Amino acid sequence: MSLTEQEILRYSRHIILPEVGGRGQKRLKAASVLVAGLGPTGSAAALYLAAAGIGRITLWDPGILTPADLEGAVAHDRSRVGLPRARSAREPLAAINPEAEILVLDRESDVAAAIPEYQVVVATAGDWRDLQREALRHGVDAVFAATHGSMGSAFVYKPGHPCLACIPAEKALAAGLRPEGEGYAIAAAAGVIGVVAATEAVKLILGIGSPLTDRLFSYEGWDARFRESPLSRRHGCELCGVE
Amino acid sequence: MGEPFLPAEKAKLAQSSVLLIGCGGLGSPIAYQLAAAGVGRIGLCDMDTVDLSNLQRQVLHFTTDIGRLKVESGAAKIAGLRPEVAVELHPVALTRENALELFARYDLVIDGSDNFATRYLVNDACVLTGRPQVHGSIFRFDGQITVFHPGSGGPCYRCLYPTPPPPGSVPSCAMAGVIGVLPGFVGSLMAMEGLKLLTGRGNTLNGRLLIYNALEMDVAEVQIKRSPACPICGESPTIHELIDYELFCGGVGE
Repeated sequence: MSLTEQEILRYSRHIILPEVGGRGQKRLKAASVLVAGLGPTGSAAALYLAAAGIGRITLWDPGILTPADLEGAVAHDRSRVGLPRARSAREPLAAINPEAEILVLDRESDVAAAIPEYQVVVATAGDWRDLQREALRHGVDAVFAATHGSMGSAFVYKPGHPCLACIPAEKALAAGLRPEGEGYAIAAAAGVIGVVAATEAVKLILGIGSPLTDRLFSYEGWDARFRESPLSRRHGCELCGVE
Repeated sequence: MGEPFLPAEKAKLAQSSVLLIGCGGLGSPIAYQLAAAGVGRIGLCDMDTVDLSNLQRQVLHFTTDIGRLKVESGAAKIAGLRPEVAVELHPVALTRENALELFARYDLVIDGSDNFATRYLVNDACVLTGRPQVHGSIFRFDGQITVFHPGSGGPCYRCLYPTPPPPGSVPSCAMAGVIGVLPGFVGSLMAMEGLKLLTGRGNTLNGRLLIYNALEMDVAEVQIKRSPACPICGESPTIHELIDYELFCGGVGE
């Protein structure tokens, strides 16, 4: 996969970085990422993934855009209220980066089946355990991220590292990785965590830096505090099954 | 934990105003997120037009906006998200001649600029007008963010950096590169700090500097203090009006 002259100009600030270069930018172009959930965290992540030059982004969200969503999720627009959230978020992504392929899945059942096609899954909503199970089965890297109000968390699953089900239930709940997904979030706080998720996806694709595996990264906006807590594989985990 | 805005805070935000210096990498998430939170009036100050090389990180602008003034492109996106926001366009260079008058018309200044001359100018104009300032900067994979408000006991930019770096010693984004996601993180944090200053809730970064590295996904916090010897906010200030910042910074824009 090569870069066009226009792409070299568009990504010049990336290409000049030794950690990215032309080779890295081609990797991003060849990559496909699934963003599950286009609420506050997912929409922030999706905007930055499109801008960064990910070649194929699939947006999954079975929900319909409501006026309340616009308080937290910045990829949407008032004129698109009533449309499926994934379709609404597709518009700014395609407008930022017309060269990227931006696909939409808007049925509840679509998401798990799609996972083997992707290099990285960014999971901000949906049935988390289902997403984790499929990521495990197909050896796909996944970034889990969610924001509630002013507080959000993220971590990365890679094969061989702690999975979502390894995290003790209370810890996952406190971090906002809840079965019902995201509720209301302050857009700025969700922006922090959504961008962390996008950053981790970019790092995984480029193979640079230290990924958020084995650690849970959290931000609390009212205090501007960041916390990192270690994660480890749980013996007898029902999903990743260390005996 | 994780509480959203209270109704009284939303009402406060609707009555408040912010001047955003720069509608580029940092300004992009800030503009979206201030509008989403319901800030009543947002001033956008940027004289640049959108360039293809901006789009890798400046998510406020679309490919069809290339060549358009960034403040116009930004205003269109804010209107799509929340048409009630009063957006004021300032497609001008911020100078010693216009800064004080401009700053006096807003409750808060957020500095998303990308050069030292503008940072010192924003700082001095904030101190002279008593406005709190949210400050952020980005470089390759690294970012810094804090709040400057000597009026409530914290330091200012000059307390932290009394003198600018030698001209040419710090390369620009164009020379050094920047990972596209970086301003998204720093700008989002800046927006959250701005919302805290406007609502009066929470513990802001006044007196605390966050240092971020995206490759390690690490955030360090450093305590920063007001300098009694600071020439603008110290015990015996020597700067009482705005100066020539291009000259102060060695005549180098970036």
